[in-house]
Amino acid sequence: MAAPCRRMASWSLPRFLSCFGGTAVGSTGFRQFSRTAVCRVTLQTKSMTDKPSSPWTLMAAVCLQRLPVISADLSPIEQQFGHVMHQMELEKSVLSDHELQLLEDAERMSRKQAGDYDSDEEGKDEEIMLAQDLEDSWEQKLKSFQPAHRVRADVDQDVTSVQRCLADSLVLLAEQQVGSQKLWLLPQTQWQEGETLQQTAERALTTLQAAGFKATFLGNTPCGVYKYKLPKAIRTEGSVGTKVFFFKAILSDCGPPATPDTPFLWLKKSELQHYLKPAYLMKVDHFILDF
Amino acid sequence: MSNKFYIYLLQICWTICTTKHYLISSILKCHYALCLIRAEPKKKKKADPRRELQLRERLKKRLKKLEKVPSQFIPIEDFITPAKCLDETRERSTPKLSFEESEGRALLLKEWSRYKKKQHMAEVQAIELALKAQREALEELKLESEELYQAALMQDPLLFPFTHEGPAYTPPKTDYEAPDGKFNDITKVYTQ
Repeated sequence: MAAPCRRMASWSLPRFLSCFGGTAVGSTGFRQFSRTAVCRVTLQTKSMTDKPSSPWTLMAAVCLQRLPVISADLSPIEQQFGHVMHQMELEKSVLSDHELQLLEDAERMSRKQAGDYDSDEEGKDEEIMLAQDLEDSWEQKLKSFQPAHRVRADVDQDVTSVQRCLADSLVLLAEQQVGSQKLWLLPQTQWQEGETLQQTAERALTTLQAAGFKATFLGNTPCGVYKYKLPKAIRTEGSVGTKVFFFKAILSDCGPPATPDTPFLWLKKSELQHYLKPAYLMKVDHFILDF
Repeated sequence: MSNKFYIYLLQICWTICTTKHYLISSILKCHYALCLIRAEPKKKKKADPRRELQLRERLKKRLKKLEKVPSQFIPIEDFITPAKCLDETRERSTPKLSFEESEGRALLLKEWSRYKKKQHMAEVQAIELALKAQREALEELKLESEELYQAALMQDPLLFPFTHEGPAYTPPKTDYEAPDGKFNDITKVYTQ
């Protein structure tokens, strides 16, 4: 009775140790701590850690979008169609009060100049302000108001500015250390025990960016996933690779203007291909909506 | 002795009433009623006024329902063409369109419908791709851990109501003071 038990105990211990052994790329000291804690638990009771820990490291990333601020330029067919619709609507309409007033005034002027004019007859109807004068005064008021420029070429070239390309939606990219390389990716950070992935994504936004971005996260559900396996040299039983879950957020307020040294970019969907790795881009392209 | 006498009287009254001998029966009925004064009359006093009141109320309610005129509907002002617009003096002198121009317009409309259809199909496809990506993400999360999956499926109560300013024609000016606008609200308010 005692001998088989001892054998079983001796088998399970090394197996559990091997499960948690090895170091994952980008793992913090936290992982080591958990391994020793769990081992301590297994020594006393086997049933506590029945749940197998997955070999994938979990990370959460945030896809922060700045939505367009101005309406996009019309394409040629849209311009043409708009013009034709305007004409058709004009033809089908009736004369407005203002237009009738203009016609009346024009008639009166022509009669005055013709000399065939009896001032006593129309003394009551004479108006101080002609409709044409009203129109002119409105035009003057409009000219005195200067709206801001729609497109500013210099700002558009600056990839780090959040004010570029106001007619398109922009995505935030940050340069981060992954393994031994520095890559451009959507800001991400590792998941910690006791928080949901959504909270991890929020943490990613606040800690990795120096500037204060106020963002509204659209729900608790991830919108995409990217998983990659570590190169075989570093791969162990404990960590096969990483799964990155993406969460969508909308920029509600951009904080103070960015300093020139900031390691993040604002890019349109079409420009992402120049900065992201192809496999990563393929996954990320799906959930970034451009319209 | 008196009880027996009373019972005997009642019995007589009863037989006389049944034989329809009117004079005697009426006198004896009064006596019959007088005998029974202590038993019933109190109940009659309470029940009758209440019942009468109830009857009167019911009749009043029925009268009110019949008298009620059905309220008029509030007119929808957008659907009524104002008489000003149907005035003949307002008609525009429309120049006649040449054949080429009308043809050009018809072709442009067809071109436009094709363009819009392409745009719509592209939008629908993009949305489907996004949904597929989300489904994949949820499946992967389920494989990872059940509790994180459940947490991801929960609704975020702080998200709604969500507002966002849409795009305008020109970007907002940073230091612009809008002039105070005053307006007179002349919308007609109807009461039913």
